[in-house]
Amino acid sequence: MSGHPLADRYVIAGTGKSRLGKVPELSDLDLTEEAAYRALADAGLTVRDIDGLLVRGPDTSYTFHQELGERLGINARFSTTTCNGGASQILSVIQAAMAIEAGLCSTVLCGYGRSAWSRTHADESTRVRAQTRSEDMMAKEFGPEYGYFSAAATHALGARRHMHVYGTRREQLGAIATAFREHALKNPEAQMKKPLSLAEYLEARMIVDPFGLYDCSLRSDAAGAVIVTSRERARDRDCKPVLIKGFGTFNNLSGWFEGDNMIRTAAAESGKTAYAMAGVGPKDIDTAQIYDCFTYMVMVQLEDYGFCKKGEGGDFVASGALRPGGVLPTNTSGGQLSESHAEGMLQIVEGARQLQGIYGPDRQVKDAELCLVSGHGGNTVCHSSLILGRA
Amino acid sequence: MDTPDYLKPVPVPSKETKPFWEATRAKKLVMPRCTSCGTFRFPVSRHCRACGKAGHEWVEVSGRGKVFSFVTYHRHYHPGFAGELPYVVGLVELEEGPRIISNIVGIAPEEVRCDMPVAVRFEPITPDIALPKFAPV
Repeated sequence: MSGHPLADRYVIAGTGKSRLGKVPELSDLDLTEEAAYRALADAGLTVRDIDGLLVRGPDTSYTFHQELGERLGINARFSTTTCNGGASQILSVIQAAMAIEAGLCSTVLCGYGRSAWSRTHADESTRVRAQTRSEDMMAKEFGPEYGYFSAAATHALGARRHMHVYGTRREQLGAIATAFREHALKNPEAQMKKPLSLAEYLEARMIVDPFGLYDCSLRSDAAGAVIVTSRERARDRDCKPVLIKGFGTFNNLSGWFEGDNMIRTAAAESGKTAYAMAGVGPKDIDTAQIYDCFTYMVMVQLEDYGFCKKGEGGDFVASGALRPGGVLPTNTSGGQLSESHAEGMLQIVEGARQLQGIYGPDRQVKDAELCLVSGHGGNTVCHSSLILGRA
Repeated sequence: MDTPDYLKPVPVPSKETKPFWEATRAKKLVMPRCTSCGTFRFPVSRHCRACGKAGHEWVEVSGRGKVFSFVTYHRHYHPGFAGELPYVVGLVELEEGPRIISNIVGIAPEEVRCDMPVAVRFEPITPDIALPKFAPV
């Protein structure tokens, strides 16, 4: 117990996922709606109980909450589209708790949905362009003229620097990809169905060296949603609430290229805030759901969150720590590398479900009491942290 | 005016970065320097991140630096680069402090290393624009 006034006062009362992977018949909003109704059912609520809406869709849609609210047919006392990239989804949960605390609303739907697979695979020409960002969001200078494109390259610059400073090796990054695949094979909803060996990881084609194919997360049609409300309100409902014990955010707005930001990320400060609020430390965490846009980001965040020393992330992951039954089973759904990519929303869902204890012995992290969930994004500099606990 | 056979993106200078591209055309690398405390800064901003005072001038820099980090592209994201794979994009830390994205050239991609010393060379791509690229010293 930390004595923080908001710790343990709010809960995730229900979770939902849309169908995942290749779902060409559903739009961004369809997917989000599907996840939202499933989360409401899990929480024992109906859409009429919702008076807050904190959601996110494609990067270009700042009106996503309005569009979703119109479909749900509700008005909201508190509502916005959260725009910190992959850090947005935990930020929505944080904003929900703060808004309820402030008396602005009582029950908030937090969600994210995007048809990223269909968007880039609608036909051959879109597949070749394969951009999820619109032209007018692209840099006009100091990048494209040198062929500097893609989130893969931005993160790979960090991975290369980490390799140089700490001696990290590609096969260590591979231990992350293969561990998450092992988890995914236990998850019938996961997009990736086949086992992945370290040899296959190393032999796969390179994309932006040091990243090969399996260092990169999936393109998915996917959505997730959770319902945030007070602990008291959840008591009256037929649901399995999960406690929000701590949260934090930090944003290295000075830039990914500044100082050592690419090898000591905003996760370090964000994590400290969340641990302090929850009154726990990395040794207390039973399972982690770490934002895995690329393998390297998992390794560097594990260091930043204090699961191992700075620079020892490679050895930590290669020890098998993240695998099923490891010292820190991580991304137990398969994560964005092997389950589906919904900008971190599905990882909040997975963290909550592990603490709801709904899985069979094959997939359930044994005696899980505390889960750390991380969100990273907004052009690599924004971070958010969430510590969930069994109620 | 684009050279017809130049298929890669051509930089679109902004109001703030015009002096940078005017200098590269004359084979000079310039960076914004605070007129109050002399700290270099990049990207461009109105106020100095070190002393908070407004105002900067574009000053020629040595053109020397080191490769802070780099990546090697094995797939292209723009058709103009299809014929160049594999190519290297580096984050170059200039002696004066600022870090800029460019290509590391004049060396096989597998030979590039972090912290390797490099120096600028200019590659004209249109009558108006020359790109500063970096090669090992």
